[in-house]
Formats: sequence, C-alpha cells, structure tokens
Amino acid sequence: MNTHSKLLAGLTSQVGRKILTGVTGFVLVLFVIGHLSGNLSLLKSDPNAFNGYARFLHSFGAFVYVIEVLLTLVILTHAYIGISIALRKKEARKQGYEMYRSKGGQSKQSISSRTMVYTGTILLIFLVIHIIQFRFGAGISAGYITTLNGEEARDLRRLVVEVFQNPGWVAFYVGVMILLGFHLRHGIWSMLQSLGAMRPRYTPVIYGIALILGILLAVGFLLLPIWLYIYGGAAV
Amino acid sequence: MSENIITDPMLDSKAPSGKLEEKWSNFLNTTKLVNPNNKRKHTVLVVGTGLAGASAAASLAELGYNVRSFCIQDSPRRAHSIAAQGGINAAKNYPDDGDSVWRLFYDTIKGGDYRARESNVYRLAQISNSIIDQCVAQGVPFAREYGGLLANRSFGGAQVSRTFYARGQTGQQLLLGAYQAMERMIDAGKVTQFSRREMLDLVVVDGKARGIITRNLVTGELERHMGDAVLLCTGGYGNVYYLSTNAKNSNVTAAWRCHRRGAYFANPCFTQIHPTCIPVSGDYQSKLTLMSESLRNDGRVWVPKKPGDSRKPDQIPEEDRDYYLERKYPSFGNLVPRDVASRNAKEMVDHEKGVGETKMAVYLDFADAIKRVGEHVISERYGNLFEMYEKITGDDPYKVPMRIYPAVHYTMGGLWVDYNLMSTIPGLFVLGEANFSDHGANRLGASALMQGLADGYFVISHTLGNYIASTELPKVDTARPEFADAENESRARLTTLLSIKGEKTVTQFHQELGHIMWDYVGMARNREGLGHAMTEITRLREEFGRNLRVPGSPDTLNKNLEFAGRVADYMELGELMARDALQREESCGGHFREEYQTEEGEAQRDDEKFGYVAAWEYTGANQTPVVHKENLEFEFVKLTQRSYK
Amino acid sequence: MTINLKVWRQEGPDKPGRLVPYIVEGVNPDMSFLEMFDLLNEVLILKGEEPIEFDSDCREGICGSCNMVVNGIPHGPQKGTAVCQLHMRHYKDGDSIVVEPWRATAFPLIRDLVVDRTAFDRIIAAGGYVSVNTGSAQDANNIAVEKERADRAFDFAACIGCGACVAACPNASAALFTSAKIAHLSLYPQGEPERNRRVVRMVEQMDKEGFGDCSNHGECEASCPKAISISGIALMRREYMKAMLSS
Ligand SMILES: Cc1cc2nc3c(=O)[nH]c(=O)nc-3n(C[C@H](O)[C@H](O)[C@H](O)COP(=O)(O)OP(=O)(O)OC[C@H]3O[C@@H](n4cnc5c(N)ncnc54)[C@H](O)[C@@H]3O)c2cc1C
Ligand code: HEM
Ligand code: HEM
Ligand code: SF4
Ligand code: F3S
Ligand code: FES
Repeated sequence: MNTHSKLLAGLTSQVGRKILTGVTGFVLVLFVIGHLSGNLSLLKSDPNAFNGYARFLHSFGAFVYVIEVLLTLVILTHAYIGISIALRKKEARKQGYEMYRSKGGQSKQSISSRTMVYTGTILLIFLVIHIIQFRFGAGISAGYITTLNGEEARDLRRLVVEVFQNPGWVAFYVGVMILLGFHLRHGIWSMLQSLGAMRPRYTPVIYGIALILGILLAVGFLLLPIWLYIYGGAAV
Repeated sequence: MSENIITDPMLDSKAPSGKLEEKWSNFLNTTKLVNPNNKRKHTVLVVGTGLAGASAAASLAELGYNVRSFCIQDSPRRAHSIAAQGGINAAKNYPDDGDSVWRLFYDTIKGGDYRARESNVYRLAQISNSIIDQCVAQGVPFAREYGGLLANRSFGGAQVSRTFYARGQTGQQLLLGAYQAMERMIDAGKVTQFSRREMLDLVVVDGKARGIITRNLVTGELERHMGDAVLLCTGGYGNVYYLSTNAKNSNVTAAWRCHRRGAYFANPCFTQIHPTCIPVSGDYQSKLTLMSESLRNDGRVWVPKKPGDSRKPDQIPEEDRDYYLERKYPSFGNLVPRDVASRNAKEMVDHEKGVGETKMAVYLDFADAIKRVGEHVISERYGNLFEMYEKITGDDPYKVPMRIYPAVHYTMGGLWVDYNLMSTIPGLFVLGEANFSDHGANRLGASALMQGLADGYFVISHTLGNYIASTELPKVDTARPEFADAENESRARLTTLLSIKGEKTVTQFHQELGHIMWDYVGMARNREGLGHAMTEITRLREEFGRNLRVPGSPDTLNKNLEFAGRVADYMELGELMARDALQREESCGGHFREEYQTEEGEAQRDDEKFGYVAAWEYTGANQTPVVHKENLEFEFVKLTQRSYK
Repeated sequence: MTINLKVWRQEGPDKPGRLVPYIVEGVNPDMSFLEMFDLLNEVLILKGEEPIEFDSDCREGICGSCNMVVNGIPHGPQKGTAVCQLHMRHYKDGDSIVVEPWRATAFPLIRDLVVDRTAFDRIIAAGGYVSVNTGSAQDANNIAVEKERADRAFDFAACIGCGACVAACPNASAALFTSAKIAHLSLYPQGEPERNRRVVRMVEQMDKEGFGDCSNHGECEASCPKAISISGIALMRREYMKAMLSS
C-alpha cells in the first residue's frame, strides 16, 4: 500500500472514523463559539453593531467562500460518520438486551450520549433551514439595507429580528438550542477523548467542563430569539 | 512392600552422565538435531495451554514445527495457570543476597523432602534465569524498584529473595506472555488453535504416541488428530478432592487416559495442601480460594486455648489464645513450610479448637502488625488480598482476624517422565504440573510457574528434537484402526454415562468422592483410613455406574457430560492415590502417615526403604496396578531430616 | 432466602431464545452468584430438566470465563467484581434478578449463557505481542523501566479478556479490550519497535470482527471487573494517529 491509500484506509477504520468525528466536531465547536460571540452583538443597543460584524466577516471576499465550502464539508463529513456509526451499532448487536442499565460509577453514559445521532440529525435539518433562512435570506435586493460608515450594507439584523417576531420560529430555535446543548454535553468531552487528548487525571475535569460549556452555549444561543421576541429588537 | 529398592529397568531416567552442572550442556552438545527444513514436515500435538502448553506451542512453532494446540476453555488464555498469585523463582541473585543456581537447586530438592531427581531439578535451576529474561522481553510487567530494575521478594522455604512477581497476578501475566507468543505463531500460520476441545484418548500406533481423540465441546463431535508426538500439558489433578484451589475445569482425564494406554503414573499420593485458604462455609461451596502465603509474613496464627470456646475473637483475651506455630517452632514461627503449617491447623481443629461458624478454621490475625507498622502499610502490602477476602466472606480483615484453613492446592505427582520429559509411551511427552518431575514430595512456593515455563520454553524443544531426529516416524493417517478404536471407545464411554439415567448428579458423586479423599487421603493418612478409602471408592464407583444421572444429549454443549467423564476418571485415580499412600510407609513432604512420625509429631522419612519414585502401571479395568520403582540416587546432595524448630 | 430468577434460555445459535422464570429456594447469603446457579442446576437435573449452561472456571475473578448480565449490568452491580465474585449477601429474600448472556454480534451465542469470544483471540493474534523468539532475549535487567510507567502499563495488562466491556457498551465496541493490550505494550520499552504495526493491525482486526465503534460512553470502564481506564482508548487513538503519520 502506498502512503496515500494507507492514510485513507487508516481514516476509514474504526479509530480513523472517530478521529474524523473528533476533528470535525472540534471545528464545529470552535465555529459555534465564534458564532455565538458574534451573534451576541444582536443584544447591543446599536443596531449596526451586528450588521457591522456581518459585514466585517464578508469583507474577506473569496476567502469567505472557501471557508463556507470547507465548513459545509466538515458538517457533511461529521453528519455522515455520525449516522454511519449509529447504523453500525445496530449491526454490532443484532439481538438486544431484555434488560439493560448503566452501571453508573465511571460511566459517561447519559441521555446526551445515547441520543447523539438524534440530536445531531435534528441539528442537520436545522442547519439547512437556518442557512436558507439567514445566509440566503432577504438581502440588499429585497430592500434590507442599512448604512454603515456611509456605505450601503445588508441589514441582516432586521431579518433576524423579523424572524424572531414569529413565536413559532422562536419556539423552534429554543427547542433546537436545547438539543444543541445536549449534543455538546457529550460531544465536547467526547471529541477530546476521540482525539486522544485525555489523561486519567483530567478526565473528570474535562467531563465537568463539557457540561458547563454545553449549558453556556445552549443558553447563550437560546437567549437571543427570546430576547429579540420580547423586546422586538429595541435597544434596552 | 518394604523390600529393598530394585531399580526398574523400564524406568531409566536417561539423565546424561557427568557432573551435575554439566549434564544439561552435555545433553545439548550431543543431542540429535532436526534439519530446519524438516521441522515443517512434523506436526506436534500440544494438549493444554497453561504455562507449559502455551510456552511449548510458541517455542516449537518458532522453530518451524507445525503445532496443533488444544484447550478446554473458550480461549487458551484462560488456562488454570492464570490464577497463580505469588511469583516465580529464579537464581538471578539480583539482590546479591547469596543466591546461586546451586542454592535454588538445593532448596528445591530439600523442600521436596528428597523425593525428586537431582538431574532434573538442577536443570530447572540452571534454566530459571533465562525464563525471566524471556518473559521480560515479552513485556511481562514484573514488579520494579524505583530505579527501574526488577524487584524480588522472599517466599517460604528459602532464605534468599529470589521470587519475581507481578502484583498478586504473576500467573496471569506470565501466561498472557506465553499466550501472546502463541497467538503470534497462530497469526504466522504455524499454530492451529482448537479451543473448547477435550482430549478423551491417546492414540498409540506401533507403540508410539501418534494422535489424540478430542471432543468438540460445542458440537459434541469426536475428532481425530494425528501428530508425530503428543505433548501433554494438562495441569494437576487437585480437583479429585472436589474442593480445591484449582479451577473448575482442571482435570486428570487426559493424563488418566494416557495412563490407561500405558503411561506410568508416578507418586500419585503426593499432594500439596496449602495452609492459607479461605475456609469452607457450606455444602454449596464449589471451590476454594487461596490467600497468598505472603500473608504469614505479618499475620499471626492462633486458636483459643480452650476447646469449644465460642467467644468472638475480640473477646478472647491474650492469655486464652494459643499462638501454636510460634509456640512449637520458635525459630520459624508463622513461617514454617506449607506442609507443617497445614498439618498443625488440622491438629488444632481435631482438638476442637477450630474457630468460626463451622469450627473448621484458625485465625490469621493482623492486629499486631497493624499496631506495629500502621494500617496503610498493611494495606499497601496486602490490600488486594484483604479486598478479595472481604468480597468472599463479608468480613473486614483490618478489624476481625481472618479465618483460614488448609486446602488442596497442587499435585506433585503426575505421569512419570524421564530426563527428556518423555513418558513410558514413546512420543508422549508430559510437561508442567501434569508430570511428576521436579518437586518431589512437596513443592516450594513460586516454583511451579518456573517449572512449567522451563519445560515449555527451554527443555522440550531440545528433547523433542532429539526424539524426532532419532525415531522412525512413518506417515500414519487418521483412518487407521487405532484411531477408529480409540474414537469408538470414547463414544461408548459417553453413551454409557448418558444411558444410566439414575438418581444422583455428577456433583453429588464428586462431592462424595471429595469427602472420602479429604478425610482419608488428605493431610494425615493411616493404614486403616487408606484401606477404608479404597473400599469406599469402590462402592462409590459401583453406585456411579448404576445411579448417575447426566442430563442432555451428546451432540450439544453439555457440561454435565464433560464433568461426568472427569469424575469417572477421578474415582479411578482416587483409588490409585490411596493405594500409593498405603504403599509408602514413611512420611515425607505432603505425604504424612500417622504411623511414621518423630516423637515431636514431625514427618519421619525412610530414605533406606522409600528413596524411590513409585510409578504405577495400569493393568486393566479392576485389575490391581503394578508399581515400578525408580531409585533416586543422590550423588551430589546429602540427605538430612528437615527441621524448622 | 428465595430468589426469583429470569434466565435467558436458548438451545443453540439458530434456535429462538427467551427468558424463563425460576424460583430458587434455599439460597445462602454466603453463596456466590454462580453457586446459586449450581444449586438451581442440581434441582433442574433431578427434576429431569436441562440445566442452564454457563461458563466459569477459576471462580476467583481472574480467568475471565464467567459472563452474565445481571439485571442489565454485565457482571452485576458490585464495582470491580466479576460475576463469580459476586455474593448473594448483596441481595434480599424475594429479589428478582434477570440474567442474560453477553450480547454482541461478534460474540455469537452458543447455548443459554455461553457465548463465543474467540474474536478476542484473533485481535491479540493480529499484534498483541512482542516478537521475541524463545532464547533470543537479553538479560532482564538490561533495560530499566521507570516504576511509574511500569505500574501504569500493569493497570492495562490486568485485563482478563472477559468481554464485559463489549457487553456493556451501547455500541458493542471492543475498544477497551483492544486498547488495554495496546496501552500495556506501548508503555513498555520492549513493545516500542512494533508499536505502529501493532496498533494498525489490531484495530483492523477489531473492525473485521464486527464490533461497533466507540462513542466514548465509558460504560465499559464502569463494568470492567479490573476497572481498566478508558484513558487507554485515548492512548490507542494517539498511537494510531502517530502510526498513520509515520507511514
Ligand atoms: C490459586 C493458585 C495459585 C498458585 N500460585 C502459584 C504461584 O504463585 N507460584 C507458582 O509457582 N505456582 C503457583 N501455583 C501453581 C501453578 O499455578 C500451576 O501448577 C501451574 O500453573 C500449572 O500449569 P500447567 O501449564 O501445567 O497447567 P494448567 O495451567 O493447569 O493448564 C492446563 C491446560 O490443559 C488443558 N486441559 C486440561 N485437560 C484437558 C483435556 N482433557 N483436553 C484438552 N485440554 C485439557 C486446560 O484447558 C489448560 O489449558 C498456583 C496454583 C493455584 C491453584
Ligand atoms: C450536522 C448534523 C450533525 C450530526 C448528524 C451529528 C451527529 C453526531 C453524532 C452521531 C455524534 C456521535 C459520534 C459517535 O457516536 O462517535 C457526534 C459527535 C459530535 N458532534 Fe455532532 N452532529 C451534527 C452536528 C454537530 C454540530 C453542529 C456540532 C457542534 C456544534 C457537533 C459537535 C459534535 C461533537 C463535538 C461531537 C463529538 C465528536 C467525537 O465524539 O469525536 N455536531 N455528532
Ligand atoms: C439563535 C441563534 C442563532 C442566530 C440568531 C443565528 C444567526 C445567523 C445568521 C444571521 C446567519 C447569517 C450569517 C451570514 O449570512 O453572514 C447565520 C449563519 C449560519 N449559522 Fe447561525 N444563528 C444561530 C444559531 C446557529 C447555530 C446553533 C448554528 C450551528 C449549530 C448555526 C450555524 C450557522 C451556520 C453554519 C451559518 C452559515 C455561515 C456561513 O455561511 O457563513 N447558527 N446564523
Ligand atoms: S477491558 Fe475489562 S471488561 Fe474488557 S475484557 Fe478486559 S477485563 Fe473484561
Ligand atoms: S462503553 Fe463503548 S462507546 Fe467506547 S468508551 Fe466504552 S467502548
Ligand atoms: S470464573 Fe474466572 S473470572 Fe469468573
């Protein structure tokens, strides 16, 4: 085998697959952290704080597209492997238990760990809707225009605020964000273990941090639609 | 039976001539070799995957032989050797405390009460060091000092620290090393593994061992395997007592069937009763658990002075306690050898000084040691043993003294082999606990592992090569009548067991046999009791043949059927053990005849009359077996009476 | 005391199986869990029924033969305890207990509670060893091994190959078992020369046998009678990445 196909064979093995979910999961976690910190500017009294941030991101030109394509690949790879792991699991235990329980103790099994594929799949559906809704949603051509430093720019904030006037959307987002929290509760600990970053001494610490980070991210995200719904985007 | 010893011409030990230290190298220098290209034309059947079997299979395959390996368990890694706790001896002398090959040899011969063959034991001591090298190279995680070098500890019967150990799991780690070496050869295509197989018979063609019959324990199928030699590495027969520290599947069947085909059985009555085991708690008990001998380094053994005293241990004041080992053996105290410690515990129980609910135990008390060095030190030394004790008994040994009692642990007897490890059937080699070779009448701690690995890694490759190179081994195939006959006999035996359809289970018979053996062929034996045991066993055998109930069918997994066959063989063996004990009118090592003791109640050897190996020949069903004698000549050591006062 | 058991009975691999209720009377609190089965089997045999087949050998928690899922937990509820070391004093009179075999496609059922775990042997054969022919070793003390490292390696070497990790794992993954051997040998200098080949081949074999992927549920560590740590799985993945990058 040449080096190339060896590497490929390596990545498609059981451990290779885990390394890939870990890497993609890691990228996604970083993205989500970045995305949340950017989105928090929606809370600022200056409506253009958020629009400015969005414009800043888009000012990188072609590079943005490269990142977007890469991100799409990451999401698709992550989702594909995640789902295939879940399918393989059925194969690996064709006859199930009549009675099955977690032993507790050192176990990291939880609702969150057992439902990764469901929370993940919902996140996938969410992402499609979400990207159509915002990334490809109403822009300058539809009259969502604002002025930033004297230049015309997309008034993305208006779009976001409008969407979150609809209680249905708010509920949808809040629901998905809770599931995101669950996905990350196991996901953050898991990716570090998948990437081999774990040492026995750190395990309990990291496992705790995963819980806190999962909650923080979920709460951070779900505050946005609720806040925008209540205050209609008005500065407080 | 006490006529002067005549060395039996059949029992030529074939030990090479020369000085003790040169015998093995003389052998190696003159042995016939098999050409490397010819090795792959030979198939060797290795029965058993304990330390002896796994190491033999691996080494022979590395040399190029085709090996077929068999075991009862679902994986070769589960052989009974996995349970050995304490350690393995070697004459490395790393601590520089005066150890040497000679000293290891001498301690082993003396510990065995001068009933082992000098040449074999010396070879064992010589090889011991290479074993440690080999195991360390395999990645066996022996205990180490902070400097990164290997640690040693001391064990009963020796005044030097020569025991290498891997926590309380030495057997496990050594076996996994050998198992992994064997799996490597399986991957290389040189070893074929047959798990869940039980050897039911040996096939002898033209006077040579050429094959075996096995039962596939999953499908019940009987299978024929052909080879140029058969290596029997099937372990000891302690389970003849029903309760022992041996694993449930340990058995004598393979060895016994070979015995019936002509292999002599040597010193069957030499069994070792280990002094520190967790006592029996009820009839339901299926197995006994060893508590490592090392506990006696810190624990004090005692019983109440007054017979029948049923106060709780903490309510028995110091002046009402009898620390009998310290009292009787002031210089060795609690550290007397196994046989002495065991016998004394029995004596206390016989005098109704036993403790606990069943009154079949003595105390092993750590209170003083905890006071002296603190609980944390004791926990560091014995933490895992204390935990195991608590798991089994529900008592916390940090607070309440442990209850211990002797239990059957090891069998020094086994198939007779010469210096080449070959039995009286050419081509049938016997390794490990299954043979009788190196421990005489009593085995020292940590030397069974040493012997198993010496046989398997370093001896058999040379002696087997010599046999193959110097023997005509015409091709035989499994269609020959010898194979068919052996298979049919095995089948008939299984059919009989299933067809009795009586009222008693295999376990009931086994328990009954165990009681007879323990009561009359156990720690202390006498003429009357041994005679009684023989009649009782005959009666039990008769009842077995008439009243056994084995459920199920022969062509599925059927553990009761497996056990029934083994118990049938145990009954025949039990009878032979009693006969052997009766014949040996002396006390030596683990064999204590009440008629032959010193005034202080210690074992009294009779070298003049019994300085021999008793090797029994099978002469047919219900025929009296014939004893052959291999005279033990001690050219290099002087025989002394053991004393631990 | 009396225990109400429900035990998985299945005559053979292709036969249907089901839970069968049994009432076991006269259970002594000092009995081990397996001795309770011995007791039940004796009764069954005398009643003319077929006894329940189950594997056991050492009955002291070291051979790895015994395998029962007790009320949904492999080896039962006691921490660090194989089922042969589980004692009935942890149960009360009248308790109900469901007992099933290990369940994994890679451990095909043979009969009742007996399964075939030879897949583990094949994983070891793929690389779980140090290639050193008998007789070619140097003196044992030529290579010093840091005590702490040796101790850590031992923690992994303690695996008894029972398969509880697979049985407990929601994915039926053999990651803990496989990683235990990889971790033991790669922490030892003696295992160094073969480390890349070892991890790649063992992982390959584990895949071939049909075990599931590891999703880091950590249930294996909780059920492992030797409490082997899943930090071994992390170590296996590091080894694997190193092997891929160095090829
Ligand atoms: C609890 C305990 C602790 C011990 N501790 C120590 C110690 O610390 N130090 C020490 O030196 N010694 C110790 N010993 C003794 C030592 O463990 C054994 O003597 C030794 O392991 C025997 O190894 P073996 O290879 O001869 O046989 P075993 O390990 O008993 O292997 C027998 C093999 O033969 C197979 N087999 C048996 N019958 C058949 C058949 N009919 N067909 C097919 N296969 C068959 C079995 O499946 C198994 O693979 C201890 C023993 C016990 C019981
Ligand atoms: C797009 C749809 C998604 C699907 C279908 C999905 C599915 C999964 C599944 C099934 C797992 C478990 C893998 C296993 O069992 O080993 C997993 C792990 C993980 N997911 Fe997702 N997920 C998705 C999106 C996301 C998103 C958006 C994030 C981050 C915000 C994320 C972060 C993680 C992390 C960090 C892990 C742990 C990786 C590991 O165990 O190595 N996932 N995902
Ligand atoms: C309430 C919460 C959220 C809000 C208000 C929000 C808002 C937005 C907006 C406005 C955009 C368009 C950005 C642009 O076109 O420049 C966007 C894009 C995106 N969002 Fe969100 N988002 C939220 C939650 C999430 C979550 C939880 C995820 C992931 C799990 C996510 C993933 C994405 C992705 C992948 C894009 C596309 C990025 C790109 O193409 O550059 N969002 N989001
Ligand atoms: S890792 Fe633990 S549970 Fe798994 S096989 Fe080894 S000892 Fe058993
Ligand atoms: S339970 Fe299974 S998912 Fe991994 S951490 Fe253990 S193998
Ligand atoms: S029977 Fe050996 S581990 Fe349970």
